[in-house]
Amino acid sequence: MTPRGLRALTSALAALGLLLIALSFVPGSARADDSTSTGNAWTASETLTRTFGNGTADDVRTFEVTADRHTNLQDHERINLTWSGAHPTQGRVANPFGENGLGQEYPVLIMECRGVDPQDGSAVPDGAEQVSPETCWTNTWIQRSAQASPGRGVWQQDADATDAEKGHVSGIDPSDIPSSCAVNDSLDYHITPFLAADGTLYPGCSSQSMPPEAATGSVSIPNEIAAFTDAQGNGTASFEVRTDVENESLGCSATVACTLVVIPIDGINCAAGNDDEQCNSTGVLSASGQSGTPAPSVAPGYWWSPSNWSRRISIPLAFAEPPSVCSLSTTAGTPVPFYGSELMSQAALQWTPAYCLNPDRFNWQDNVMADDAAFELMSNGQAAAALVSGARDGENVGYAPTAVTGWAIAFDIDKPNNAGQQMSLKLDARLLAKLLTESYPGTILGKARPGLQNNPFSLNLDPEFQKLNPGLDKTHFGDVQATLLSLSTSSDVISQISSYIATDPAAMAFVNGKPDPWGMKVNPAYRGMTLPVSTWPLLDTWVNDKTGNPCIDQNHSAYMPLLASPVSSFRLIATDMLYNWPNVTTGCSGNGANDTPYQLARVQPLGVGNRFMLGVVTLADARRYGLTVASLEASPGHYVAPTDASMAAAVKLGKQVSPQQPFTISEADIHKSPTAYPGTMIVYTAAKTKGLDAEDVKHVTQFIKVSSTEGQQPGRGNGQLPAGYVPITPTGATAALYKSDQVVMKAIARQSGTPLPPSGGDPGDGGGSPGGGTPGGTGSTTPPDTPLPPADATPSGGATPTQTATDVPVVKTAAVTSATGGGLMVVLLVVGIAAGLVGVGGRIVLMTRGVK
Amino acid sequence: MTAVIERPVRLRAAAREIAPGSPDETLSIVSSALIVVFLVCGWMLLQLLVLGGAAESRSQHLLFSEYRSELAQATAPTGQLDYEGDPVKPGAPVALLTIPSLDTEQVVVNGTAPEDLLAGPGLMRSTVIPGQQGISVVFGRASTYGAPFRSIATLEPGDEIDVQNAEGSVVYRVTDVRRAGDDIPAAPTGTEGRLTLVTAESAGHLAALRPRDVVYVDATAEKATGTGVVVAAVPSSELPMGRDTSGLPTLALLLGLLVALVFGVGVARRHFRGVLVWSFATPAALALAWEVTEQVMRLLPNLM
Repeated sequence: MTPRGLRALTSALAALGLLLIALSFVPGSARADDSTSTGNAWTASETLTRTFGNGTADDVRTFEVTADRHTNLQDHERINLTWSGAHPTQGRVANPFGENGLGQEYPVLIMECRGVDPQDGSAVPDGAEQVSPETCWTNTWIQRSAQASPGRGVWQQDADATDAEKGHVSGIDPSDIPSSCAVNDSLDYHITPFLAADGTLYPGCSSQSMPPEAATGSVSIPNEIAAFTDAQGNGTASFEVRTDVENESLGCSATVACTLVVIPIDGINCAAGNDDEQCNSTGVLSASGQSGTPAPSVAPGYWWSPSNWSRRISIPLAFAEPPSVCSLSTTAGTPVPFYGSELMSQAALQWTPAYCLNPDRFNWQDNVMADDAAFELMSNGQAAAALVSGARDGENVGYAPTAVTGWAIAFDIDKPNNAGQQMSLKLDARLLAKLLTESYPGTILGKARPGLQNNPFSLNLDPEFQKLNPGLDKTHFGDVQATLLSLSTSSDVISQISSYIATDPAAMAFVNGKPDPWGMKVNPAYRGMTLPVSTWPLLDTWVNDKTGNPCIDQNHSAYMPLLASPVSSFRLIATDMLYNWPNVTTGCSGNGANDTPYQLARVQPLGVGNRFMLGVVTLADARRYGLTVASLEASPGHYVAPTDASMAAAVKLGKQVSPQQPFTISEADIHKSPTAYPGTMIVYTAAKTKGLDAEDVKHVTQFIKVSSTEGQQPGRGNGQLPAGYVPITPTGATAALYKSDQVVMKAIARQSGTPLPPSGGDPGDGGGSPGGGTPGGTGSTTPPDTPLPPADATPSGGATPTQTATDVPVVKTAAVTSATGGGLMVVLLVVGIAAGLVGVGGRIVLMTRGVK
Repeated sequence: MTAVIERPVRLRAAAREIAPGSPDETLSIVSSALIVVFLVCGWMLLQLLVLGGAAESRSQHLLFSEYRSELAQATAPTGQLDYEGDPVKPGAPVALLTIPSLDTEQVVVNGTAPEDLLAGPGLMRSTVIPGQQGISVVFGRASTYGAPFRSIATLEPGDEIDVQNAEGSVVYRVTDVRRAGDDIPAAPTGTEGRLTLVTAESAGHLAALRPRDVVYVDATAEKATGTGVVVAAVPSSELPMGRDTSGLPTLALLLGLLVALVFGVGVARRHFRGVLVWSFATPAALALAWEVTEQVMRLLPNLM
């Protein structure tokens, strides 16, 4: 190559290299990856026409709505809806759920109703009901019943109303009205009763006449939403579906068809010539203003009025088998429980029916238990297998990778000034350390703690947080914003979170007492704590009994743990995040009287619109409940969100110490990678490779086989892998895991033990493996059934050691002799010497005779 | 007459050509042939007794390092199938055998064919690995290639034999030395393990060079380690005094190369100086000779 050519090539390569380096600094998107596999979405559109009676031209719009899923739904699952072409909402409420959403104009009302609604005109199939306002769920009676001065009800002026609907009391048979509704002649009423699944008719005109699940002020946030549409006519909402487990009166289930009804409130149609101001009103609230009392003609409270009801779009909902299908099944055998990691719960929900409904498979049951305890149970022989996430001491245990999932920090944060929900967040290890070490005082009561005086009150006031996440609320603070809702029990997840902190130099420096660049110091009770740990300890014991809050003062318990208040399972954290209900227990109940003493209580759920709450959740729960999760810092400056790609990058960093052992994903390695998600965890099925009884061997090997093949198909059907898990495939980043599954499955089938992992001691002096081998007293001594491959003999299965070298069993030692052996070397010696003598002698003779 | 400086009479007088057909020619040919025979026999004996010992020593050294690291990584075999389920190759190290009273420490390889035993004692593949429960049979050469088992017949009952395998260390105690006609001891039960060392012996003059009769040394251990997979049956080359004829093609090839070398040397001698030719030919000849002998060893009984 010529020098010029060489130079050109070098500069081209250098340019390419610089380009690649530059690309690596582009920050990735912080949104959690949405599943692309749908085939499940539902789209519908319709033309909205509002007619006025005062001469105003008709208001015509094309409304289109898309739901991202509508089949195989689980309880509490979130359906994400997006729409366009709706009338912009006037007067935005902070909390659009249930009765709280009534104070708006032109929202899009989304409700769950029982029945089917074939809008193409076909007949309702047998056994199903037709959707009607009576089968649609509302949380309160004020959403379904209205009263007005005689003739002044806006529903009575509806152009599409029948004469009956314009009457004094409409919607219900007057004989069904209870006295609690206080119906009298001075007002006109419209009452929409609620027909429960069991046939009970609840009048729905007073709080006493509502079904039992309807409760104002309850924790369970109502799921009907009056959602906001922006000025362009677009909007999004996340609707949480409920089954009969949550709402028995509504009664949706795998066997009872339900519908998601989307009603874009566009205004009551007024008959031509009816120029009544109330009917023709286009709203009194300002588009960018706060909520208030809406004009009735455009209020969501009259969704049942014929104009609004006829504009509904119905999305059919189909539910998956409930978790109880296995316990109700009469054909499934005795349940075989596996114990362990809560990370498997969502997968178990979809996998269990594939086992218990299949007669060729055993009845697999997944039980949540702390990883350590589950492993103990398996080691003692009380459980067939344990589902754990890390290697543990124990001989002859094989770990088969079963699921790649992990944990995430979920957040419920609203943008300031009612601008909607914050959808992305960045956190680093030091911020997690600050939250977990109770270093934010929360309120001035916490600031009284020695050592926390110079610390910012809460996470949102921390300059480190504000630098990573600009544009969030900087004025409000409180104890809720100062903590991370975490787990109180032992878990491999906590081990990994604490090792994520431990391998970050800045975070560990902070924990060891070094102030951060803005002067914040760690809570003195946690200074110098050793990490990692498997159970996060609550170390702060400082008591504050001069708070002025009588509940805290009289309780005399440590103050900071009231903020931390960890719970015992990740499911609880996920549901708390779903309901925006922090577990901080600095609330006060009671008034000091004997029968209502002062008691510490949990604080109220946060109002939608000004939420700030964080919690540790499993990725599978986050995807099921539609929680937003934070991007965590991997290598400095790179914030990685949990996506299939980032979790695969973390799996590639996994190292297996010896066959059948787990792949350890070291957080130290993750801190060097710009693309690996730090919360990635692999859940293994750990089972004994020696000493497991035959039945369990069959079950465990079947489980590993099914879960590594059928169980890794992404999807929402029985036996498939739900969202939040990365499939384990024979090729790609998880190929090593798949191979390990096969090795462990063979090892468990063989029951011949697992090679001991190396200890690091010096094996050269014959000391060998740690602890030596246990003489397998209970070990299985039956040879395997697989044919053995000797060098050139034909395999004959069922090997038995022979007594002697011959195949004929003898009592006496047979004589084996070899003449060659006995004679060859002697012959060589003799012949050699003789030949040498004669040959050399001959040569000498020749030489003496003068021959060359 | 000019002065003639007296030269010492050399043994070698002025050379004269050999006349064809003269008895000198016969003598020359015969003596050359016999010298070649002497060289061949000498080389064979040298290789069997001395160079073979060096080769076995080196093999043992390499096997020891390999086995040591396998023990450290816990990939050492616990049976005839390794941790991945593939068959363990013949020649792979499977155990470490130490006989303190004979000052012997040897790595036991897998397989008992003649070529396997060139590297040291070998495990009969239809028996378990030494140290495991059940019967384990180990062959060792008696007089050639290091002769690791040359003096095991001198062991007394009660002598210690230590075995280190993948699962742990086991101490065996010699129970008897068994020859033709002696009773075979009862099979081990439960966690017992029995180790049988097999070699050949003889009696009389030059007994060390005449390994003829197979002799067995049995040793038992109360608590052996686990049990492993065995091969159903071994081929005849792996039985006591077994021979392996599978290497004959290789031997033929090597001998052909040797012939070619001789021919080449002959041709080269005409054109180049003797020293030059022999300095190239000698290493080639030695290498070929070594290989030929190793191949020939496969044709000889494995316990020699």
